[in-house]
Amino acid sequence: MIRRRSLLVGAPSLALLATGALAAPSALTPETILLPRAGKGPRIVICGGGWGGLSAARHLREELPEADIVVLERNPVFWSCPMSNKWLIDVVDTAFLTQDLLHPAAKWGYHLVQCEVTAIERDKKLVRTSKGAVDYDFLILAGGIRNAYDAWFGDDAAAAEYTRTHFPSAYIPNAEHLALKNKLKNFKGGTVVMTLPPPPHRCPPSPYERACLMAWHFKVNNIPAKILILDPKPKIAPIGAGYKAAFDELYPDIITHVPNAKVKEFDPWNKRIMTEAGDFDFDDAVIMPPHQASEMVFYADLIGTTEDGKSTGWADMNPRLFHANADEDVYIVGDSMGAISPHFGHYPKSGHVANYIAKIVAANIGQRVRGQEVVAELPDNLCYMLVNGDPREAISVEFTYSVGSDGLVHQNQIDIDVRTPDLLEEDFVWVDGMFNDFLR
Amino acid sequence: MANPPRIWISNEAPAKDEIVRVRAQVVHVMESGLRQDEAGNPIPRDTLERFEARLNEALLLDWQPETAVAQNPYIEFTFRARESGVLKMVWSDASGIFAEAEKTITLS
Amino acid sequence: MTSCADLTRRRVLVAGAALGAGLVLGRAQAQTSSASAQPDSRESDRIAADFLGEATALPEGLALDLPALGDNPAAVPVRVHVTEAITDELWCEELIVLAERNPMPLACRFRFTAASGSADVAVRLRLIETMHVRALARMSDGRILEARQQITVAAGGCGL
Repeated sequence: MIRRRSLLVGAPSLALLATGALAAPSALTPETILLPRAGKGPRIVICGGGWGGLSAARHLREELPEADIVVLERNPVFWSCPMSNKWLIDVVDTAFLTQDLLHPAAKWGYHLVQCEVTAIERDKKLVRTSKGAVDYDFLILAGGIRNAYDAWFGDDAAAAEYTRTHFPSAYIPNAEHLALKNKLKNFKGGTVVMTLPPPPHRCPPSPYERACLMAWHFKVNNIPAKILILDPKPKIAPIGAGYKAAFDELYPDIITHVPNAKVKEFDPWNKRIMTEAGDFDFDDAVIMPPHQASEMVFYADLIGTTEDGKSTGWADMNPRLFHANADEDVYIVGDSMGAISPHFGHYPKSGHVANYIAKIVAANIGQRVRGQEVVAELPDNLCYMLVNGDPREAISVEFTYSVGSDGLVHQNQIDIDVRTPDLLEEDFVWVDGMFNDFLR
Repeated sequence: MANPPRIWISNEAPAKDEIVRVRAQVVHVMESGLRQDEAGNPIPRDTLERFEARLNEALLLDWQPETAVAQNPYIEFTFRARESGVLKMVWSDASGIFAEAEKTITLS
Repeated sequence: MTSCADLTRRRVLVAGAALGAGLVLGRAQAQTSSASAQPDSRESDRIAADFLGEATALPEGLALDLPALGDNPAAVPVRVHVTEAITDELWCEELIVLAERNPMPLACRFRFTAASGSADVAVRLRLIETMHVRALARMSDGRILEARQQITVAAGGCGL
């Protein structure tokens, strides 16, 4: 007696149809449907399978067991940006940062399709991708950031491409991370320039962490290198005192922090950068252009505008419920999110916040589908930053949020400037908890 | 405690009579008693009142912060490493001991 | 290869307008403070006089390090240390730091012992406005050492 259900090869079945790649190859047309609907509940399409998107998928599955949950991700393998600076100096290995995406999809039960989002037609509730169109009842945009080279170079795509290829920013997974590590390991000496994006940008304390760990690599390997941090801000922030102590005490001959160094002009071919704090020649560079919301927020036409009509570069969204102001069936989760409060601007663009907002949005969508009252929740944030390779010592910053009588969100920031090994131990406990929540 | 004291020591194995530098930070609101809540009522004072550092029994430092000390108080001090032993640090506020930390000092 | 030669000479202008992508947002109401600055250094002087007793402060032997400009008035780094030799026979017994214009000028007090073998401390202060910070140290031989320095801070926002 056959107890297990079996599938007849050749018979039409949901599972086969669900993976377009298994169907006979045919040209993609605007009518090509990526996935037929499955399940009795609403379909929720999540664009982006990073920290925010995978967290949303997992928690939506628990909120709405009958929902049809689809994650669209362009990368074949998950790569964590959090912990990637530590990976540069081998505190963790590549396996630690990566995860096959099929595992969480199978474990929690959602569709995962590797494809590029090419357009979003909100009037039709349709996402177009490199593998066909997929319709939705709720859409979650969790694409992270884009590198806004165009803010510097306009439409000079060659300049942007030359810069990206030669001086990768390594803030978007994952080719650039590998390129940066190779460059670091092969660097023989000279001046390395690191430009920081103007705020708001992804993971605010992390460029300084990267500078510390690159400097540590140069120090222990006796590589005659200098790192110039060109910071558009007037001072190091967050954890300014902790970073300053690390720069001054651990890397006094290597790291120079240059405040108010907003980039004016950049010549990647001649390795020269002109800033408001002076002009600098370099041998190599980590060039971080301004950050903006991921492309798909632009495709969905959900980017905010300032009072004088300029693009904010970030999603125009409800700061408490995280849906677009123009479309309450479209949510924005993670780094693409726009300003939250006039008191502090954006939530920190961190993996921790992306995971937290994903959980809140999953709960809120669950409440809507069940016809319950939607409860607005607040996240918190936590970042641990390694500043020393031996002994391994970290500093940290913690943010908590509350709503004031003005109805606005207020932020409380706790910088821990004393570098200690126990903060790195807590970092590993934290990241294990996170990975267990949405990935492993 | 969710956020224990953070301690950094320049050298946990100093030579005898070497000057050792210590940094310590705790998370504490340091409410000054000078602010009002949203209804206009005074927010009661809640400050750290004392920090003591001892090497074994010997008192090295007694610090009494007042309202001018910043939130999440940071203290850096130095001492002469006269003997091996336990460096014990205790933070207190109006309700008693707020936090404690120990580090072992071993003369090299 | 001419195009490469062209490329190497090319400079790329950064579009200034697009750079300041960060939102400019207004300041908002927070909790109010009833704290008001001292009108002068009188209260601070009174505390200093108490500390001095019969002694006269010596403007030497004590270093007070703080930035000339406090860019974060909620946490201004202040270091005070006795620069003369500390020995088993001569040490610093007590040290006070005064934020002269703060609502409560006594910022903090330190006590040391012969066991300390040193008198070198750093803390972070919140300062309500531009003012002088003053430090007084009593040595075990009864002398009082003094240092005083001005700091300019941006008004408000210090969290007092």
